[in-house]
Amino acid sequence: MAIDGTKIIHAVMEGSRIRESKGIIPLFGVYLSLFSTQYYNLLNFDFEKRMGPARREESKRLLIEAAHECGYATFEGIRNSSEWEQIVAPMIESPEDEIKGFNAVAVAFGWGDLEVTEIIPDKKLCIRVTDSYEASGYLEKYGQARSEKCYMLRGVAAAFMDLVYGGNYPEGYATFFAEEPLCRAKGDPYCEFTAEKSPSPRTIAG
Amino acid sequence: MARTLDWRSQLDRKGHQVIFSGQAIAMHCHHYNINLQKTLEDALGEEGVHLLYGAAEETIFHALQSLFMQYPKISSLKSKLEMASILFQNCGLGIIYFQTVKPTKALIVSTSSHHVTGWLAKHGKRETPGCHFTRGWIAGTLETIYRRPLGYFDVTETLCKMKRDNNCVFHAKVR
Repeated sequence: MAIDGTKIIHAVMEGSRIRESKGIIPLFGVYLSLFSTQYYNLLNFDFEKRMGPARREESKRLLIEAAHECGYATFEGIRNSSEWEQIVAPMIESPEDEIKGFNAVAVAFGWGDLEVTEIIPDKKLCIRVTDSYEASGYLEKYGQARSEKCYMLRGVAAAFMDLVYGGNYPEGYATFFAEEPLCRAKGDPYCEFTAEKSPSPRTIAG
Repeated sequence: MARTLDWRSQLDRKGHQVIFSGQAIAMHCHHYNINLQKTLEDALGEEGVHLLYGAAEETIFHALQSLFMQYPKISSLKSKLEMASILFQNCGLGIIYFQTVKPTKALIVSTSSHHVTGWLAKHGKRETPGCHFTRGWIAGTLETIYRRPLGYFDVTETLCKMKRDNNCVFHAKVR
């Protein structure tokens, strides 16, 4: 059975309309917030700017790690949730289907039109996005970039592979790392993320 | 008045985008929001705190301006504050009470929030107040309501549930 993204989007949209009495949205095993993509772009790109040229690589690494660790913890929560069990698990027949399920949830969350274009089991994942909010936000505010800008999706792509092929949680964190060889923010026609085995797996932070 | 709005219908999709009251939003969980906060605080210290505050302030400032234009009947101070509180709740950000609000100062209390719940779940008790997002959100909200420029209000947090205080208490005053 193929992964039915529409069904997952429907479940997320319905679930995200439910608030418990404390104004929190508990859905798919995590606490969700709904906030403008402008906020996340301001945070990421102003952070990079304030860190300055001398700390550019460090700022990029920190933002990617923040998303990588988030993606790892978030999608671990998601795949252990009752919503996943009821809606997504019945569609899964292989480890690769699990990645496609994660991808469909990311689309449902409004992170972009993510499309899995290639999976080589335990080796490589390729995701293509023609409208990442990070690339769109960068272009809108700063114009064309000199380097790739989709730090959140880059971290998340690695996390998908960690969860499926990295072994038991949380030891599998950073078994994979991702790159973004193509990014719309630097003039490419779409953004592309490739996740492959990391040369130096690390442990999850605090 | 604000309670008569159908908030459920405000959340919709336009293709792959999620739209809330006409604006593109992203759903993010506490792991990401708190990771970003910790990353900025650890790397930049007080400057990182200002970034968190400023990004929330600027974003809600523009979002509320757009909402108030869409709903011109929401024109009184009371109904605007009510709309802002409901917006906070409907975005899964928590519960916020504007207790005393005047053109030059305000007292606001939050009994629960996404960032408090997320911080405590990931890192436990803090030693200092940590609701920088909410401080910025309050500043931007008051600036929109009183038609003042960004940066007009300064919002501080005197009690914080991240420190295990009973509530988060915020004071706004003109800079």
